[in-house]
Amino acid sequence: MKVNLPDDMREIFEEFLVEADEILEELQNDLVELEQNPEDKELLNKIFRGMHTLKGGAGFLGLTSIVELAHRVEDIFNKLRNDELKVTPELMDVVFAAVDKLTEAINMLKENEEIPDLDEIKDLLEKLDAIKEGRLPGESSSNEQSQSGPSQIPEEYKDVVEWILKYPGKTLEEILDELILLPPEERPTEIIEKLDKLISEGKDLKDILPPDLYAKHFGKKEEKKEEQKVEEKKEQTSASTPAPQAASQTTTTALASKTTTAPTSTTSTAPAKKKEEKKKEKKEAEVIRIDVERVETLMNLVGELVLDRNRIVKLVSELEKEFRDHEIIEQLSETVTSMDRTVSDLQVAVMKLRMQPVKRVFSKFPRIVRDLARKLGKKVQLIIEGEDTEIDRSILEKIEEPLIHLVRNALDHGIEPPEERVKKGKPEVGTIRLFAYHEGDHIVIGICDDGRGIDVEKVKEKAIRKGLITPEQAAQMSDKEALELIFMPGFSTKDQASEISGRGVGMDVVMTTVHSFRGTVEIESEPGKGTCIYMKLPLTVAIIRTLMVGINKSIFAIPLHSVVEIVQYDPKAIKGVGKFKSFMLREDVLPLFTLNELFEVPDSKDKEYIIVVRVGERNIAIAVEDLFGEEEIVIKPLGELLKDIPGIAGATITGDGKVVLIVDVNSLVNDIKHKLIGVM
Amino acid sequence: MGEMHVVGVKELEKMQAVSDEIQVVAFRLNDELIGTHIEKVVEITKNKDITPVPKAPKFVIGVMNLRGKIVPVVTLKEKLGLKDTSDYEGKELRIVIVDTDLGEIGIVVDEIVGALRINKEDIQPPPLNAIGIDTAYIKGVVQLDTDLLVLLDIDAIFNKEEEDKKKK
Repeated sequence: MKVNLPDDMREIFEEFLVEADEILEELQNDLVELEQNPEDKELLNKIFRGMHTLKGGAGFLGLTSIVELAHRVEDIFNKLRNDELKVTPELMDVVFAAVDKLTEAINMLKENEEIPDLDEIKDLLEKLDAIKEGRLPGESSSNEQSQSGPSQIPEEYKDVVEWILKYPGKTLEEILDELILLPPEERPTEIIEKLDKLISEGKDLKDILPPDLYAKHFGKKEEKKEEQKVEEKKEQTSASTPAPQAASQTTTTALASKTTTAPTSTTSTAPAKKKEEKKKEKKEAEVIRIDVERVETLMNLVGELVLDRNRIVKLVSELEKEFRDHEIIEQLSETVTSMDRTVSDLQVAVMKLRMQPVKRVFSKFPRIVRDLARKLGKKVQLIIEGEDTEIDRSILEKIEEPLIHLVRNALDHGIEPPEERVKKGKPEVGTIRLFAYHEGDHIVIGICDDGRGIDVEKVKEKAIRKGLITPEQAAQMSDKEALELIFMPGFSTKDQASEISGRGVGMDVVMTTVHSFRGTVEIESEPGKGTCIYMKLPLTVAIIRTLMVGINKSIFAIPLHSVVEIVQYDPKAIKGVGKFKSFMLREDVLPLFTLNELFEVPDSKDKEYIIVVRVGERNIAIAVEDLFGEEEIVIKPLGELLKDIPGIAGATITGDGKVVLIVDVNSLVNDIKHKLIGVM
Repeated sequence: MGEMHVVGVKELEKMQAVSDEIQVVAFRLNDELIGTHIEKVVEITKNKDITPVPKAPKFVIGVMNLRGKIVPVVTLKEKLGLKDTSDYEGKELRIVIVDTDLGEIGIVVDEIVGALRINKEDIQPPPLNAIGIDTAYIKGVVQLDTDLLVLLDIDAIFNKEEEDKKKK
């Protein structure tokens, strides 16, 4: 339903959207918290007020379906805080569904100025009414659908279709996801394989289900669903707003428990309310909202300014050499020094504009963990630490998907079912810790679980079976190297349902994403105790410190974060191992390459320095001909034509206007890695 | 760094409105007279600081700094099936910057001839193999007084699909 807004309402509309966003985001976490503390009156009041505000705003703007939803949720919470109803998982499922629908509606408003039709939310409204009256909500539609026999279904798909019908409204990929997340003993291995094959063949539900079942599967909202799919995709890339999953949520949750009421006394919280509102007003006055694009432009301009500054500093130092002791030069030099400082400050200030607390992403996890734990039948508590740690916006956006991956893995493969935990003498409730902290000029985002841990031998076994390594290589590997195998492309993805207790759902995706902004991933695991994964990320993406090195008249910039140390080239410390060379550094033997051979550039003279770089868990020695020192640079892309050159992360323009290529140590070494496993 | 700017696109539109003429930037690769529609040309420049890119495709000479932007510089000779005997290293190169699907790209040329006006009706379909240039990249030819002008199809040379194909 399209919303028609008169121009004079625009401003109010925009404000409403911002407010609604805030309310709904807080609500997600408040609801999860409420499940744990169902008697928390303060919380109940807060949720009630949030819904009340939302209803009021929507009513003023004539957004009927939002009003209807918010109104019912408000009523439910009114009853809850007056002890006329009691918090139950079933009640919460419906409330969550309503909140999801509201979020979806707000997102629709933002994008197309549309809200869901009343028809579309009728079922949900009825369920809410039922809950409100203390009744059980109506039958779940999934039963009905699985009863309608698979009529004209090809024999080979029959079992698949049975499973598909258990998840109405979902796409093949979503169903596969659901199945993978089932507890191992309930997981239909064959079906997963078949589904996987269908998806890889590019098949759609349309190809598998007969038309009548297909229509039923998606209800009457087939088109809407498609639209939503597109929206969801978009959201996955931008990853800034919670994905609307409301439609599927409402239909899949089976509701089947009693709702009881238990009276307790109500406490007045009116003064608290006042205080909170006052605080909010004050905060609003101090914050202005700026289009991200403007900040990006500013960032680019500052980047250019930094380059010019470098150029001027270089020129001045040359002038100083030429006209020493000249008074004007001295003054110029002073001015430039002062400008240098200002530009650095400016750079930091603009960088800070782009920084956002990781809270923005972390705050989605209580809900994700709750839903997954419920689905998997596991008991988990989520501990979040350091959510105020700030990181560059663009990194924050991209880190969300990998984090969800990691959390899912921890829940699915890491945390054991309650009975198993009790048997092992562990607390029944598993713990997942999600944390962020600063470490030097990096920020570490990580996740730890106290689950099974990863069995190194099983990982090796699987890697051998998959043909990723040879048994000889496996025998030489350290445990840490073996753990790294799970990040290799092709390690997991296909046979989710295997007996391996390790993780692995698209772990290579995690690795690739983190590498794409020059971060690293580390993994620690102890069988029986749990697993930790740390993602070490740069604070910012645009400006990096590099080491300038030279080979054969060319200069390359190696990002400083991957440099471990620099040593003089010493022929005595170099040994040949087969066709590879290695470099003895104190106690360690490091594989040695010249930058020339890595880049296929002819040698022009003897090597003078060795740069020790870190690639994953290993140190590698790279010999270079010249060393020009450190420089702060602005990364510029090489453009579409050259974007996939291995070993090159981009380019920068130096003080004298020349282009210098930036080395991507990871992809450079990965490019020759297949020759190296076993050697390294 | 000598830069020579060419007629702006706006003026060009005005001209097209009144006649069927198009303007072409003409240059030479070896002895061939080659032209490209002026709309595609961003600027014509000279540069001797080209940074070679290791492991890049052979036709990529390197990258250059075009007012703070990184622009790849390529030679089209091999692509078009012409002999390429030049040594590009350290020389000052004449470069025509064109706007393509893959962003701005610099094409190294042997000589800049200048801007020519051509009547659309004079453009002939490319003769098969007659000129030794791969016809896949050619829009047509125009017979001038002394020379045959070959009109390049920049979009056919640089486009995303071609790039993707190569990767597979």
